[in-house]
Amino acid sequence: MRIWLARSAILIAALGLWEAVARGANPLLYVPPSAALPALGRLLTLQSYPDLLADMALTLREILTAYALALTAGLACGAALGLNRLVGRAYGPLLAALYAVPAVVWYPSLMLFFGLDAASKIAFGFLLGFFPIALAVLAGVRQVNPHVLAVARAFGARPAFVFTRVMVPSMLFTLVGGLRTGLALAVIGVIVGEILGSKAGMGALINHAYGLFRTADYVALVLVTLVLIVGSDALAVLVERRARRWTE
Amino acid sequence: MTAETARARWIQAASGLVLLSVWEGASRAGWVDPLFVPAPSAVAGALREVGGAALSGLGETLAKTAVAYALSVAVGVPLGIAIGSVRALRQVLSPFVTALYGMPKILILPWIVLLLGFGTAPAIVYGTIHGLFPILVLVAGGVRDVDEHLVKVARAYGASTWQLYWKVLLPAIVPTVVAGMRLGVVFCLLGVLVVEMFAGVRGMGHVLGSLANGFRAAELFAATALVSAASIAAVLGLDHLSERLSHWRG
Amino acid sequence: MSDDLIVVDGVSKRYVTSSGPVDAVHNVTLAVSAGEFCTLLGPSGCGKSTLLGMLAGLVTPDGGRVLVDGRPVTNPDPRRVATVFQDPGLFPWRTALENVEFGLEVQGVARERRRAVATGLLGPLGLAEFARKYPRELSGGMRQRVAIGRALAIDTPIVLMDEPFGALDEQTRVLMGEWLLEIWRRTRKTIVFVTHSLGEALALSTRVVVMTARPGRVKCVLDLPMAHPRLMESAELVALRAKLWSEIRDESLRALQ
Repeated sequence: MRIWLARSAILIAALGLWEAVARGANPLLYVPPSAALPALGRLLTLQSYPDLLADMALTLREILTAYALALTAGLACGAALGLNRLVGRAYGPLLAALYAVPAVVWYPSLMLFFGLDAASKIAFGFLLGFFPIALAVLAGVRQVNPHVLAVARAFGARPAFVFTRVMVPSMLFTLVGGLRTGLALAVIGVIVGEILGSKAGMGALINHAYGLFRTADYVALVLVTLVLIVGSDALAVLVERRARRWTE
Repeated sequence: MTAETARARWIQAASGLVLLSVWEGASRAGWVDPLFVPAPSAVAGALREVGGAALSGLGETLAKTAVAYALSVAVGVPLGIAIGSVRALRQVLSPFVTALYGMPKILILPWIVLLLGFGTAPAIVYGTIHGLFPILVLVAGGVRDVDEHLVKVARAYGASTWQLYWKVLLPAIVPTVVAGMRLGVVFCLLGVLVVEMFAGVRGMGHVLGSLANGFRAAELFAATALVSAASIAAVLGLDHLSERLSHWRG
Repeated sequence: MSDDLIVVDGVSKRYVTSSGPVDAVHNVTLAVSAGEFCTLLGPSGCGKSTLLGMLAGLVTPDGGRVLVDGRPVTNPDPRRVATVFQDPGLFPWRTALENVEFGLEVQGVARERRRAVATGLLGPLGLAEFARKYPRELSGGMRQRVAIGRALAIDTPIVLMDEPFGALDEQTRVLMGEWLLEIWRRTRKTIVFVTHSLGEALALSTRVVVMTARPGRVKCVLDLPMAHPRLMESAELVALRAKLWSEIRDESLRALQ
């Protein structure tokens, strides 16, 4: 109970501080909550940006496409590396090494190749989301207890059965964590791509507001984008819980 | 080296060679547009040409990253220890920390640039923010995972609170702190690069951006390879350090 | 009695668990004189570890009090009491030698002196060649010996041991018991030893306190004045074993339920 009170106090204090500091300062740079809320209202009623829904839809499409690609490639690669020991040992370190490179270095190359359209954002989102998924599948496949597999086979189970009923459940836990991280990163990839340069999408709108010093609109756009992101993660958590219950 | 490792190395080398040959062959045969996919030989040549500018850009970026990194570690580690070890702090602050950690920081980048302009400051500030959270979260987690029995033993031998921190907690979390620092390097570098791409006049991010805008594919590939190599080197260095400091873990 | 080094006076301890309150120990009274090897014997969950925790100053009794050397125990007192736990609890980042030094380090003893004391102990501990090894390189028995060395290094009049050999195999247990007796004879310390093993109690102690199942109370106290080392097959010990077993059998059954 006290914890809840302390948290609320911190939240209220933070909002209060924001309001106090931003009120007297340059309105082009500082937007207090009292100015942000009306801007949010204008945004949601499509006054400040009439094409908001189209841009939101585009961003969501990019995210879904990027994630679908990351999922497919990640599952395939992770499984291939995990199931075949030699291949895993050959290419596993490569995967880990690439993970040590900040992904944004690839973005200019993607922009060169795909231009400023949705394709480069999808490609970047895919790139970001791919690694955690592949690595999680790899780790998951590797950590399946070989004894459990041996027992299953000793009972005469066929390979397909072994895979679906024995391997998948035992690695689901590691897997699902990686899938969730993959989604979060795919989302970030798409949004970073959009903000670094795009013609449409939430990131483009944010850039537009920033460029014109429409700071209140910028804050509103950021809030809406945050809701989108939190929403997608909440969805992922729901799916994760469902998946857990399904395997227990 | 075991037989298996040797074979793995063979496969790595062989596939690398095959990839390069196919790539070079395809470029020479005209199957790929050199505007978008330059030949490996062109990339190697470009490395020499653009090398100077790229290296100075890299130096800029690494300098900013170093400052941001120092700040992230200086703030992230003590804060992580505090949040991890003081139960009240942890319980009250954890949702805030999780929320801030999970939020894509890119969303506040335009505002930071509005505030601080186009120079070095936004890169350092943003890089610090980017690297701070993974370090904090990892260190706090490491503190929580310290074996409670060890704390009990230390108390039984009369250790004061200060001694508990200094003689038990800190040595116990060294591997975790190093792991956090390893992660932090990549995050800080990433933050700095993003700022340089978004609104930079100097630094590797800007170099990559302008090469892309100018459709100078070979130079872009070369510069990208350079930055990647630097990052991998930094991480490998920290990995090595991590092994030296965690040898007791077994 | 005036030469009682440890006095436990009507202590009780209740824990609140997720399934309701649990009385670990209820109204326990006993006394230990200097130089004794006193064993607390009882089934699992009879509160012997809780009682030892109270002697160590790590657990505060809800009722009653614990006196060591005439003084009430409120906090761990490393000048009077040293503790060895079932889990050796060695610090993995310290070598065997550095682990043995730990207690002295906490008390601010100078480095040369610490080193000398610890090194001097390693010989009798049988660990002279392992001084620079890390815990992960040592076997279970060796780790426990290091833990005992750590306790001996601070040279307290009382040493508490909570099932220190519990995680070891049979043969190692017997050997460690013999070794411990040797140390006890040489140092003349007061040892309070917790175990659930009858054999161990009979082989080592000068006095056995049998505890009931939860909530733990003192069921009976047996004196074992026989000399060491003991011939377990002697008529006297066989009879004592039977007596102990009859006392403890019911308690063990109760604990199983």
